[in-house]
Amino acid sequence: MSLNNGEMPAQTSAWQEQILLVDDNPQNLKVLYETLDGRGYKLLVADHGEKALNIAQKSHPDLILLDIMMPEMDGYEVCERLKANPATREISVIFLSALEDTDSKVRAFDAGGVDYIAKPFQIREVIARVETHLTIQRLKKELQERNRALQIDKERILNAMGEGIYGLDAQGHILFANPAAQRISGYTEQDLVGQDFVSLHFASAEPELRESLQDAVASGQWLRLPQVLMSQPGEAQVPVDLSVSPTQGDEGHEGAVVVFRDIREDLERQAELEQARRKLEEQKSQLAQFSRLSTMGEMAAGIAHELNQPLTAVSNYAQVAGRLVNAESLDRETMAETLQKIERQAHRASEVLRRIRSFIRKHASGKEQVSVATLLQETQLLAELDAAYPTDMVKLKVAPDLPPVCVDPVAIQQVALNLIRNGLEAQADLPMDEQFLCLEADLANDQFVEVRVIDRGPGLSQEVAQHLFSPFVTTKAHGMGIGLSLCYSIMQSQGGQIGHRPNPEGGSIFFFTLPVSQPSEA
Amino acid sequence: MTEPQVYVVEDDEAVRDSLQLLLKTEGYKVASFPEATSFLEAWSPDMNGCIVLDIRMPGMSGMELQKELVSRGSELPIIFVTGHGDVPLAVEAMQLGAVDFVQKPYRDQELLEKIRKAMELDAQRQDLRVEKQEIQRRMDTLTPREREIMEMMIDGNANKVIAIDLNISQRTVEIHRSRVMQKMGTHSLAQLVRMVMLVRNSA
Repeated sequence: MSLNNGEMPAQTSAWQEQILLVDDNPQNLKVLYETLDGRGYKLLVADHGEKALNIAQKSHPDLILLDIMMPEMDGYEVCERLKANPATREISVIFLSALEDTDSKVRAFDAGGVDYIAKPFQIREVIARVETHLTIQRLKKELQERNRALQIDKERILNAMGEGIYGLDAQGHILFANPAAQRISGYTEQDLVGQDFVSLHFASAEPELRESLQDAVASGQWLRLPQVLMSQPGEAQVPVDLSVSPTQGDEGHEGAVVVFRDIREDLERQAELEQARRKLEEQKSQLAQFSRLSTMGEMAAGIAHELNQPLTAVSNYAQVAGRLVNAESLDRETMAETLQKIERQAHRASEVLRRIRSFIRKHASGKEQVSVATLLQETQLLAELDAAYPTDMVKLKVAPDLPPVCVDPVAIQQVALNLIRNGLEAQADLPMDEQFLCLEADLANDQFVEVRVIDRGPGLSQEVAQHLFSPFVTTKAHGMGIGLSLCYSIMQSQGGQIGHRPNPEGGSIFFFTLPVSQPSEA
Repeated sequence: MTEPQVYVVEDDEAVRDSLQLLLKTEGYKVASFPEATSFLEAWSPDMNGCIVLDIRMPGMSGMELQKELVSRGSELPIIFVTGHGDVPLAVEAMQLGAVDFVQKPYRDQELLEKIRKAMELDAQRQDLRVEKQEIQRRMDTLTPREREIMEMMIDGNANKVIAIDLNISQRTVEIHRSRVMQKMGTHSLAQLVRMVMLVRNSA
């Protein structure tokens, strides 16, 4: 029989339950020892109270069988002293005594005993009672162990969380604060515990905010507050996302758990993001301007060609007229014919100029009620100017009786011109007489008119189609990939949509929708 | 050989009509075409004159027509008519052998002057072609022996050297030599060398 170190951890695989036997009578001690020996227990013995306390302190037995009638220190006193010492308080004590009176038994229980065995004892009774109490003791220990593990887990979770957590009682006083709560609030745990949560952190907040927080804590309501300012020591404040969750005990509302997250970094990132977004918008609008200018530049070449043709003809005819006048005999008929031709070409030139003027006049307008047919007819003319050769390459098909739409016509023409230009480029490899596009418009539903630019080019790969409206995606050798992304922006600002689908007959269909002008806008 | 003409290839009807009228009043014979392909269909190697060609046309462009003509061996001078901003195209066309270009709208007389020069150039080329054909015709009348001796003559060999090389008498060489000069229609060796070179260089 060896004495175990009382500090040993309780749970080892070679764990033996220890029982301390205490009796001043060696004969009784021997009988007890023999009764319990060989049953898998580790048995310790003490023949007087002082020694029993020492062994209990040192070895932490699970159970003590304690004789009441002993000289110097009786069993009651030993038990009371065990119960007074936190280190030995948990040890179960079974009293053994020949005292049969109720008072003795009651006193034994008062002193902290769990059971009472009358002497002379029955061996089976002793074994049965010892077993029972060891089982109770074992379960109690397991329960404590589990509670301790749970407590450790809880603390670990609370400590590890980036969110600050307060436990509040039903009056809104702080019961505990995890390390993150201390870090975010700027207070130490000592400063926090016992404080009124709302007055500590929201003394200078709006009365409504204070009230809703107080209500939530007092009445056990859930509350979520995104982005509120929490006071720190001094004048400082910290922005947090905060939630209040009620805690329920057996008797209902017990208090609340407050979870809050420091969102300073989020706000900074958000601000950076916002700044980046603004910058992007700015660049996009610059690009839109640039593209508009470059479209104008490309158109300038087309316009020059358009004007040069009649001017060249006029110049030729005028030279002819000069020669006719200088001839020996005036050929009046040819002269009249030539002058008529000059006039016709002059009209042709002024028609070109009229189209340019109308384009420029509308260049700076806002949204207005426009007819889809007129808009697309003008676009068709512009596309032909743009493409340098006025041919029949845009076939227009507008459904009859379309309602007017409410858009900036110049912006929509930019989009349509861009799509037409892309379409013409896409089918540049087709035979010349097949190089025409269809520009169609009809009513998609009672709110939108859909316009389609249909080409018979090679179509788009799925990969390209997916990123079609992102900037810098292009299939053109010299393209910047800006056109469609600008079209997308323009269509968004116009309250319409833009998209692409494959042409079942080969090629691509680009479509955009124009909001139908509502009667109130008319 | 056909009579020299100005061939106008221009898609714009008014420009084509006015140019044709102008050139006719200037006394040129004019044939006009609304597109490059219809000119190609009408083309034949014995055309004389010049082409006034619009550089920008739908379908086959002026540049493409020029390349096609070069590959067919046409020597007709081409004057390109270009629009605003087509100077780089015109430069490329010049590198391919176009004689000139003019920007629309051209100044009074500018195009006419260029056409006049181009017609002159073609006439000179025509004369040269005629001369070459004549030289070739004369050379074709030489016997193989005479041709052999002519080659040695223009390489600068003396009668004596030719005689030794061919193992014939100097007298025989002299007879062949005078027959060569007679058939080629010249009295000077220098003239003979020029004639042979002219034909060789263009071969």
